Amino acid sequence: MSTASSPASRDSTQQDRPAPRRWATDGASQVPYWVYSDEETYRRELERIWYGPHWLYCALEAEIPKVGDFKTTTLGEKPVIVVRSAEDEISVVENRCAHRGVKFCQSRSGHAKDLLCPYHQWAYDLRGELIGVPFRRGVRRQGGMPADFDPSKHGLRRLRVEVVNGVVWATFSDDTPPFREYLGEKFWKHYTRVYDGRKLEVLGYNRQHIPGNWKLMMENIKDPYHAGLLHVFFVTFGLFRADQKSAVDIDETGRHGVLISRKGAQEVNDVTADMRNFQGDLKLADPRILDVVNEFPGDETVGMITIFPSVILQQQVNSLTTRQIVPAGAGGFDFHWTHWCYADDTPEMKLRRTRQANLFGPAGFVSADDGEVIEMCQQGFAASPDAEALVTMGGHDIAPTDHMVTETAIRGMYRYWREVMGL
Amino acid sequence: MSTPTMDRPDDVAAAMAADAALRARVRDFYDAYYDALDDVRLEDWPDFFTEECLYRVIPRENHERGFMLCTMQAESRGMLQDRVTGLLKTQMYAPRYYRRFPGPLRVTVGADGIRTRHNLLMVQTLIDRQPSIVLCGVCHDRLVEDEGRLRLVERVVVFDSEMIANSLIYPA
Repeated sequence: MSTASSPASRDSTQQDRPAPRRWATDGASQVPYWVYSDEETYRRELERIWYGPHWLYCALEAEIPKVGDFKTTTLGEKPVIVVRSAEDEISVVENRCAHRGVKFCQSRSGHAKDLLCPYHQWAYDLRGELIGVPFRRGVRRQGGMPADFDPSKHGLRRLRVEVVNGVVWATFSDDTPPFREYLGEKFWKHYTRVYDGRKLEVLGYNRQHIPGNWKLMMENIKDPYHAGLLHVFFVTFGLFRADQKSAVDIDETGRHGVLISRKGAQEVNDVTADMRNFQGDLKLADPRILDVVNEFPGDETVGMITIFPSVILQQQVNSLTTRQIVPAGAGGFDFHWTHWCYADDTPEMKLRRTRQANLFGPAGFVSADDGEVIEMCQQGFAASPDAEALVTMGGHDIAPTDHMVTETAIRGMYRYWREVMGL
Repeated sequence: MSTPTMDRPDDVAAAMAADAALRARVRDFYDAYYDALDDVRLEDWPDFFTEECLYRVIPRENHERGFMLCTMQAESRGMLQDRVTGLLKTQMYAPRYYRRFPGPLRVTVGADGIRTRHNLLMVQTLIDRQPSIVLCGVCHDRLVEDEGRLRLVERVVVFDSEMIANSLIYPA
């Protein structure tokens, strides 16, 4: 951070860093490997993407139902506290004391009347306003803060927040458009299909550190091509297959994407011949994991949404999760899964959702494949930063498709990424 | 295991012998269980459980806050068999070894079977890499007599190591 440390440059960090690498080709059909491994590029991503005009996933509203309930999380690399500061208000403040920079809240979640730093007991209200400085007027007329010390200027940094149908979003930038506009009307429709305003409830968490660049996780869920090949479990049991009626939608900017599909049967046909690992005769001893019910309008059974850059909103049959991406250097990210249900679900439905959760998470029948293959990607890129990944499945276009034999949504993301990164 | 109050020394000796024999059987059970998993004899693993059983590998946070969600869950021996099928036939993962280091056993006998509790450390070694801890937690188990042998009717592995180093591939 050496070049961005002076106050004068704080608001112009985008101009401070030299363009670290050059993207040699036009468009987004070839992605150079340095985008996954170059630390200077990563620093620029933090500034322009994570701390730039983008909404970042923070929490489910259901995690902090009462005034004073809080949870901690990390946005980009910055620790924050998400707290219900009033009956109808959620605040997101940086978890960094205005005095000496202490990451003062170390709990994952809890309940508090105010926010207190243990170092010198500076106290903040739930909106982050500084309300207490011990010995501010000195002790027996000795010491104390100077007369011009103004507590109102030393609160916690407060982020812009929107709570949208049970999900808490925050942004560091004043330039971010309102959340609905950020999604665009098409993706607002995709979003509200599952987040329709009903009350949500947490079923539990999974957490994993994946040693690969954070964009690989976004790409993974923008890439239906792999889902019908890598995930033999999906393919074999017909949960997600290339021969099923499906679609890829992307927003106008290219940054958000959704994979839509329909569950099929376990059958052998002309398409399965291309899947070398297809296990046509595989049987489950206890098939309750495949006991799915259609609960959303229409006959789509899968809607996997990537909200750039921070989260994947998963609806895979009856398994509903938010998968939050927390970047940690160019070569890795933490992946926080919040599995949820609707508050009015029957006990049977809750059980169904937890059962299907065996497909996902760090030990998931299909998701473990993704963590593994992302690590292998990173291993492959590391020594060849100037070689390029090929992203030409389905051609060079960046447009929605009504099939899944395409990498269009990955191209969309990199077209947007190049714009915002100026690379 | 508490020893009931006995009047006669013979009864005390008999109870202590029975207690020692049971503890030896339970220890043998776990030796066989962990041998099978460390040797990656996955097909043998479901047979350590009764037909109706509950198997849960759950992050400590979920366990303590009463959340249902597990990282791995099975509600029958069949589901355990399906886990094995997944590992052997459908999942993709880099080759690795897990070695399990169980801590000392605490054994109590109740009306619903033998309850045990022990710490578990699981160490993962991937090719050309230093070993690392893949799981660190505590096992709350319940065993019963079934078809002339001891079997797990319930195993709940609560792990502190909630930020999993990429994947949890093999079971605990």
